[in-house]
Amino acid sequence: MTINSSEGFPSLNPLIRKGIRERLRMKQIIAWGLLTLILTSFTYLTAYLQGSDGQWIYDEKSESWKKGEPSPVNGARKAFPWLLGVQGFILMFLGAGRMAGGTAEERETGLLDYQRMTPMRPHSKIIGYLFGLPAREYFMFALTLPFLIHAIVVGELSSGKVFHLYGVFLSCVLLYHLTAHVTGLIVSKPRAASWVSRMVVLGLYVFLPGLGQAGFSFLSFLTLLPTYFGLMSEELILVGQQNLNMWHQEMATFWTEVPFFETTLSPAFFTVLMQGLLLAGLFATAHRKWRNEALTAFSKPAGIGLFLLLQFLLIGSLWQLYGNGNASGLLGSAISGDKFDENLIQKTESGIVRATVHRTGMVVVSVQTILFTLSLGASVLILNVTCPTRHQYLKGKRRSAKLGLQDIPLWADEKPGWLMVLCLAVIMPFTHFALLTRAVDSGLYFEEFPGMGAYILPCVLFAACLTYIRAAREKWFAVGFWGFLGLLWITPLLACMVLAVGWEEEVFDVVFHLGSLSPPFAFFEIAGRPHDMSLDIHEDAFRQGALVGTFIACAIATWLSLGQFLRRRNWDKGEKNIAVSREP
Amino acid sequence: MIEVRDLKVYYGDNVAVDGLSFEVEKGEVYGLIGPNGAGKTTTIKAIATLLEPTYGEILVDGISALHEPENVRGMLGYMPDFPPVYDDLRVDEFVELFASAYGATSEKRNTEVDRCLAATNLEDKRKVLCKTLSRGMKQRALLAKTLVHDPPVLLLDEPAANLDPKARIDLRNLLKHLAKDGKTILVSSHVLTELQDLCDSIGIMREGKMVINGNLQEVVERATLTKTILMELLHPFPQTHGFLIAHPSAHFSGEVDESATLIEFTFDGDNEEVANLLRALVELGAPVKSFHERKADVESLFLAVESGEQS
Repeated sequence: MTINSSEGFPSLNPLIRKGIRERLRMKQIIAWGLLTLILTSFTYLTAYLQGSDGQWIYDEKSESWKKGEPSPVNGARKAFPWLLGVQGFILMFLGAGRMAGGTAEERETGLLDYQRMTPMRPHSKIIGYLFGLPAREYFMFALTLPFLIHAIVVGELSSGKVFHLYGVFLSCVLLYHLTAHVTGLIVSKPRAASWVSRMVVLGLYVFLPGLGQAGFSFLSFLTLLPTYFGLMSEELILVGQQNLNMWHQEMATFWTEVPFFETTLSPAFFTVLMQGLLLAGLFATAHRKWRNEALTAFSKPAGIGLFLLLQFLLIGSLWQLYGNGNASGLLGSAISGDKFDENLIQKTESGIVRATVHRTGMVVVSVQTILFTLSLGASVLILNVTCPTRHQYLKGKRRSAKLGLQDIPLWADEKPGWLMVLCLAVIMPFTHFALLTRAVDSGLYFEEFPGMGAYILPCVLFAACLTYIRAAREKWFAVGFWGFLGLLWITPLLACMVLAVGWEEEVFDVVFHLGSLSPPFAFFEIAGRPHDMSLDIHEDAFRQGALVGTFIACAIATWLSLGQFLRRRNWDKGEKNIAVSREP
Repeated sequence: MIEVRDLKVYYGDNVAVDGLSFEVEKGEVYGLIGPNGAGKTTTIKAIATLLEPTYGEILVDGISALHEPENVRGMLGYMPDFPPVYDDLRVDEFVELFASAYGATSEKRNTEVDRCLAATNLEDKRKVLCKTLSRGMKQRALLAKTLVHDPPVLLLDEPAANLDPKARIDLRNLLKHLAKDGKTILVSSHVLTELQDLCDSIGIMREGKMVINGNLQEVVERATLTKTILMELLHPFPQTHGFLIAHPSAHFSGEVDESATLIEFTFDGDNEEVANLLRALVELGAPVKSFHERKADVESLFLAVESGEQS
């Protein structure tokens, strides 16, 4: 036999085999194995020894401090989170980096083209990459498992809960790795793919879950934290300690129940739901890109489906907050302090309620701003993927002409994205109207009916933004498109910050008008219009800002769309001329 | 076996390939020639289903590469213009990876690997890590990988670009051997001489367009109607110069070598007219020792096309 290393695992997926051969030769096994054992044993044993040492207890009788009995159980329980941290570092940090870097590198060098040309099925290729590229990281993780067994046995932890936790842990790992792989496949410039992958992983799973603390609970479940705190907080109470310490107690109550529509869901279920949905979406995208690199990351109907799903999760997460003030995370904790009992709401004459309504009014202002910003962010991504560039549009036109069709089919990737804009612009008001009506009906956030402007204005701004995003995407290539959005959305905010820091209140009027160019700020101004924002003489400028922002967005949308319409007419004319010149 | 019809590939506003059409018959070796940026690599990538054309049709054995890329890929062996390999795999592991990816059974895989390593003279390097190979060796490893699933169609983009002269000869022999076995080979190069003995047909590309396309000999003859004639005299014979300068179909600058016996001139006319010219020279008394047409090669053809385009 000539290929010795294939003898042990000849039937394994070729790409997994490749990963093992590339990254787990004997020298590497020894070097990385030693490193892992040293790192894990240092971390685990330090925590274990420190935790198992007897605790100092104040004895009131003798009025002196006495050291308690040593407790291996406490040691193991103390060491458990540290072990999880090391494992997370290995699989989530090193592994995701390897996935992103490996995919991008293979794409850049052309190795991915070889794989693309093999007759292996796309799902086999995805699985091969998912487990093959980070083969070394899985090996390192395996070396930490004896420490885990020690922690379970000595720490008397519920093995069921630990298995449950590790199930979610591995699902998170897959999610991060698949995200990195998909980004590596999508980003058009392979050199940038590695960095973009890391940024996407950080954004999706580190920064975005932060919004879970502001009522958008579903975002928190993209990470392991809810399951960890939900399942393990009580398991890790030290022997001799009556209850969780305050921090753990708070964390545990944050995550035990997730308000979703009229019910509450367990964090474990919600995690499986969220991660399952995301994994399915990413897998479908990777499958599509492996099948044909020229295809967009997802089709137009899939884009609308994604947006609908996002809106469903948004409404579900915010339903109780808008209806009765229930929220998870820090926001829930903050507002639970002055939760409005029904008696208080009835005492509208008392003056106390006014203060409460103002405070909670700010809650809905912030949440509504985030809601629209988040939806707009998702729309940018969806439109960026589904709206064709000039190149794609002309390709579609030529293909349609070849097939004898009058025009590009409505849902084809090459079809201009106006239908997408229409669909997204229709879906969003449903979410907004449903939530706002509920907030008004609850009587918690508004002293009186906020007016139709509160309903219509943000939806108009949202639709205008979608319209100009689409026109810009179809008009310019990537650099022009992102440059345009960056200039329009970020520059005004930066200028406002400079003005506000330099001149403070003197220039607030300018700030409110200039800032409204940026949609997140304009959404904030629109959401704040029905409320007393305590801005004294600047209150009017604040309210005008919302109108200015909406008007400018509409003007840009009209200008760009008209320009794009005329350009496309010229392209079509050019195509007709080419077709005529081709005729014999 | 390969049919390309009105192929267009746009990169943004740039046209990489513009209305390219050609056919490669089964068992034929077709050379795609052109300067850098002519669109050779783009064309080969489009045939290899790695790049979706903006317009046009590509058929491989009658199957559309555009609509059924999965069915076409199994028939293709593609080798890009520079050799990316998995640096941390050994040569045999690299080839074996693709043998298994193309569905070879574990028993057959080793035989296939042996066959391909032998064909590319890499047997003594089989246990060496790919990263330690020279560029030429990597190119060979890549060729071994390309052959491992025994594809009926080979797409080779600048296959000899990094090879030493010996390896080039080996590659040429290997490709000839593969062509004899009935493989259809599309090979691109800008090292023109290496295609001369190899190709049955050629296509010369320039700025994304096909300038000349067809059977090698026919193309060469068609494109080089002006013959270059080399004449050697036994001893200097000055009347020859005046005769050639005065002849309406001959173009002679009057420059000769030091011994004044070697004369090179161009001649517009067919073979019969050439024979008449020679007869006239002999009748004039010129001591003609040898008189022959310098064989036009691909390089001169390419230069002729280039200068023709420029003029």
